[in-house]
Amino acid sequence: MTNSMNNTIERLKSIIRNLKVEEIDEREVKIEIKPEMVLNALSLLKGSGYSHLSIITAVDWIEENKFELVYILFSWNDGGKFIVSTKIDRKKAKFVTVKHLWPIARYYERELHEFFGISFEGNDDMRPLFLENWDDLPPLRKDFDPMEYSKKKFPDREYHKDVIHEAKVIRGDLNG
Amino acid sequence: MSTNERSIWEKIADQLRSKSLWMLHYCTGCGAIELPPSMTSRFDMERFGMGPMATPRQADILFITGYLSAKTLRRVIYTYEQMPEPKYVIGFGSCTLNGGIYYDSYATINRLDYYIPVDLYIAGCMPRPEALLEAFNELMRMIRKGEANGWKRYKENYEWYKQNQLRSLGEVFIHDEFHE
Repeated sequence: MTNSMNNTIERLKSIIRNLKVEEIDEREVKIEIKPEMVLNALSLLKGSGYSHLSIITAVDWIEENKFELVYILFSWNDGGKFIVSTKIDRKKAKFVTVKHLWPIARYYERELHEFFGISFEGNDDMRPLFLENWDDLPPLRKDFDPMEYSKKKFPDREYHKDVIHEAKVIRGDLNG
Repeated sequence: MSTNERSIWEKIADQLRSKSLWMLHYCTGCGAIELPPSMTSRFDMERFGMGPMATPRQADILFITGYLSAKTLRRVIYTYEQMPEPKYVIGFGSCTLNGGIYYDSYATINRLDYYIPVDLYIAGCMPRPEALLEAFNELMRMIRKGEANGWKRYKENYEWYKQNQLRSLGEVFIHDEFHE
């Protein structure tokens, strides 16, 4: 960890108790915090030089019944990277927007709403961003079955011959 | 007149058409990278009388590389219907044939000829420029013999194609800032 990262973590620890810090790399640190402290942590990090929001994304932990929200912040001063992660309830998939901190966040939030069904308070523009006429569960949720959807919507080509079987016979895996 | 019957003038016209083909390439999937060597000096598509064309209204061939998502398929149907007749479609790569490695994707279609008529497929992932030139020669032969009549099939089975398009896309009409 670089010095400036250490200093930033000290400052984070002063506002957040039980901060979970995981050092991934020399210049990459993941911190796990409670949802209510995320805005504080993000604005502190933004003020400490980590002002570049690389991405907001989500991970679906379906067994835990949680969505993990991941904010990746980058510093142009020393190339350090902070990964801020928090877990929100999967049933009430709702969080607060960060578009007042980074205006670009409104696109990431639109994307998360489209692909995970997470809505963000304060960001009302939740029009679909990539998909058109989507009519099923948000597609990146783990309980969505892409194979089933593809079968339902996009018919497969029907083959008269079982080519894979023939190839196995030719190769000698099976006795024809 | 049935699909395969041609008048003598059409036969002559087809001979001439096969010598001058303009290709519109729709490259939203992968595979577009095989086109530059085919077009430029290495494999030199122009010696067959073929050239790239920028707009659908002046193109003869619609060349579709790689996968099409539901979103891009709408644009392809728009493009195809804008093209003047006679028009030919080449599907390039496994994805247009049977979905390729995206066979289970929620966003990409699995077979192109279900939505628009395809005259010729090039199998492979990716096909090499040699395969591409072979396909162009085959298409020219098909045009001369009167076998490349996908555009006639589209007119005859318009209802069937529309029904399939609606089944997969819900609505073919595009709602976005460029089309409204």
